[in-house]
Amino acid sequence: MSEQENRLLQCFASVFPGLSEDEIRQINAESNGEWDSLATVTLAAVVQEEFSLEIDPEILPQLDSFEAFRKYVLPYEPGNGAERHA
Amino acid sequence: MKLIDALKLVALPVEEDAPEKRVCLACGFTPLHLQTFLTASLKSQLPGHRVIVKNGLFGDLSGNVERFQSQKDAFDSLVVLIEWSDLDPRLGVRTLGGWHPSQMAEIVGSARQMAARLQKGIVEASRLVRVVVSMPTLPLPPLFTTMPIEASPAETELRHVVASLAAALVQEPGIRVVSGQSLNCRSTVEERYDVKSDVATGFPYQISHASVLAEILSELICDRPKKKGLITDLDDTLWSGILGEDGPDGISWHLDRHSQLHGLYQQFLASLAGAGVLIGVASKNDLVNVERAFERADLLISKNEIFPIEAHWSRKSESVERILKAWNVAPDSVVFIDDSPMEVAEVQAVYPEMVCKIFPKNDYAGTWKFLKDLRELFGKFVVTEDDAIRLQSIRESSAWREANGNSLEMAEEFLRTAEARVTIEPAQDWTEARAFELLNKTNQFNLNGRRLNQAEWSSFFQMPGSFVFTVSYKDKFGALGKVAVMMGQAAGERLTVTNWVLSCRAFSRRIEHQCVKYLFDAFGVNEIFFDFESTPRNAVLRTFLTELIGEQFQEKVSLSKEQFAAKAPRLFHTVEGIVHV
Repeated sequence: MSEQENRLLQCFASVFPGLSEDEIRQINAESNGEWDSLATVTLAAVVQEEFSLEIDPEILPQLDSFEAFRKYVLPYEPGNGAERHA
Repeated sequence: MKLIDALKLVALPVEEDAPEKRVCLACGFTPLHLQTFLTASLKSQLPGHRVIVKNGLFGDLSGNVERFQSQKDAFDSLVVLIEWSDLDPRLGVRTLGGWHPSQMAEIVGSARQMAARLQKGIVEASRLVRVVVSMPTLPLPPLFTTMPIEASPAETELRHVVASLAAALVQEPGIRVVSGQSLNCRSTVEERYDVKSDVATGFPYQISHASVLAEILSELICDRPKKKGLITDLDDTLWSGILGEDGPDGISWHLDRHSQLHGLYQQFLASLAGAGVLIGVASKNDLVNVERAFERADLLISKNEIFPIEAHWSRKSESVERILKAWNVAPDSVVFIDDSPMEVAEVQAVYPEMVCKIFPKNDYAGTWKFLKDLRELFGKFVVTEDDAIRLQSIRESSAWREANGNSLEMAEEFLRTAEARVTIEPAQDWTEARAFELLNKTNQFNLNGRRLNQAEWSSFFQMPGSFVFTVSYKDKFGALGKVAVMMGQAAGERLTVTNWVLSCRAFSRRIEHQCVKYLFDAFGVNEIFFDFESTPRNAVLRTFLTELIGEQFQEKVSLSKEQFAAKAPRLFHTVEGIVHV
C-alpha cells in the first residue's frame, strides 16, 4: 500500500471512525447508512485539505465509494488509469 | 488544527460517567466543520469531558437565539455567530434580493432592526448561561457603489450597527464577545471566506478560519484560570540601568533616554495591579537604594501597588519563596520576570510549575509581544471592588501575622483586640461577580472543589430552599473584602451546605467558625450537613471539620450544634448585616 493510499484511508477513518481498513476499502454510500450528504461534504473537505487539491462540486456525487475517491485522488497509482482532476 | 485531526479528536471515546459540556451553537449558516472544530477544541481544553455541540435551524439566527430560552436546561453555554447575512440576507450571496443603490438605506435599516432583536435575545439568554458572541468575521460583499478602497456611507453605517451591538453586549456580565483585533492576528481577512462552499453547501468559512474561530470560542467558553501574581526584577527590567551603579537618578524609563519600553512595562504592571493582580519584586540590590528609587515621583507604578519587595543578595528563588509565602498562593499561579536568563533558569529549576519569562530589553517587537502574552495570562473581564483592595489586604495580613505571633495565648489576645467585623449577607443574585469568582478559584478552603458554570450558578438562585451567603471581613488592620461564600439548601429541619469557600487570605481569623455559628443561629437547626469531598488541596477544610466533629470522616459529614458548641473557640467578631432567613 502506498503512502498516498494510507493517507486516504486515514481520511476515511476520521469520517467513519470504528471501521476496519478492509471495511473502509469496501465502503460505498449506498451500503453504509452513515454515509449521508454531511459525510460526503466532510470527506471532501478532509481529502481536499490532506491532498491540497480542490474537488469540483459537480464531481462530488460521483465520489460515492472509497474506490471512487481512490481513483480520483490517486490517478497516478498503478491500475487507476485515470487523469488527475484537480 | 487540521480537519482530520479535529475529527479524530471528536471521535475519541470518553468515560461513561464523564462530566458533560453542552454547548448550543446558534448561527444562520450550516455550521458543518465549525461544529467539528468547536467540539474538538473544547475536548482538548476539557480533557475527560463529554462535549456536546448542537446547532439550531439553518438561516434563522435570531430565531435560534430566541428559542434558546425553551431549551436552556439542555445547555450550559450558548455560542452566537453573527455574519452580515444574518443582519440582512442581501448582505450574503445565497439570496438575490438586489444591490441597487436605492436599496442601501433599507438594508441598513433592516440590519439595525435585526441587531436590536439579536441584542434582546442574547441578553436574555445570558441571564441563563455563559454566552459567547462573534461579530461578523467575513468581508462585506461588493454591493456598495464606491470602490472597495473607499468606505461608503452605507458600509460605515453597517459597521456602526455592529460596533454598537458589540458595545452593548460587552456591558453584560454573562456575555463574552470575540475580539476582532485578536481574530485578525490569527486569521487574515482575505483567507476567511469560501464563496464556493457558501453557495454549494451553506458553509461560508475556509477550513483554517473555522479552526481559528473555534479555538477562540472554546477559550472564551472555558475561561481557564488566570494567574494571580507577578514577581518582577528591577534593574534592566522595571527600569533601564543598574541601580547600584547608576544610582536612583541614573535609572530611566523614558523616550529621551531610549528606555521607553521599561516605562511601558511599568504602566502595564500598574494596570495589572489595578485589576487585582499581585505584584512583587525580587531584586539583587541594596534595599536602601531600592527604597530611594521608589521615591521617584515619575515612576508609573507606585510603591503602594507592590508588595512585598525582596531586595538583597540572596538567590532569587529564596526571594520568590518568601513572596509566595506572603501572598499565600501556589507557584503555578505566579509569573516570574527577569532580564537575566541565568536568574530565570535558577527560579524555573526550583519552581518548574511557575511561568518564568525573560524580559526582552532593547527588543521593541519582543516587548510588544511580551506584554500581549502577559495579558493572555492575566486577562480579566470584570474588575471587582475586592480586586482593588487585594494587595492592601495582603500587606495588612502580613502585618497581622507578624503581630499575631506564634503562641496560643498571643493568638487569643490578638484576636480579642483585632476589632474584627464580619458581615454575612445573602448574595443579591447570580450577577454577584466576586462570589462567582471566589467559588471558582478557591482551592484550599473549599468544601468539595466543585466549580460552577454560569448556568449552574444562575439556576441555583431559582432552586426552592436555596441560599447563597457572602462573607466580608475587616479589622483594625484593614478590610479584606468578600472572603467567603456559603451555598446550600434548607428543607425543613435539614440544612445542607453544598458549596463553601474561604479565601486563604482570611485564614486564622476564625471566620469559618463564625460562618458555621451563623448558619445554626439563622436557620435554627440543630445539625448541619456538609457535602464534603476530598480534593488534592482541601486538607485545611477537612482539618477544620475534623476538629469540630472530634473524629475522622470520609465524605458528606454532619455537625451537630452540641459538637460545635463544645469544640468551637471563642469568637470575638462583631457580626454585622445579618439578614434573617
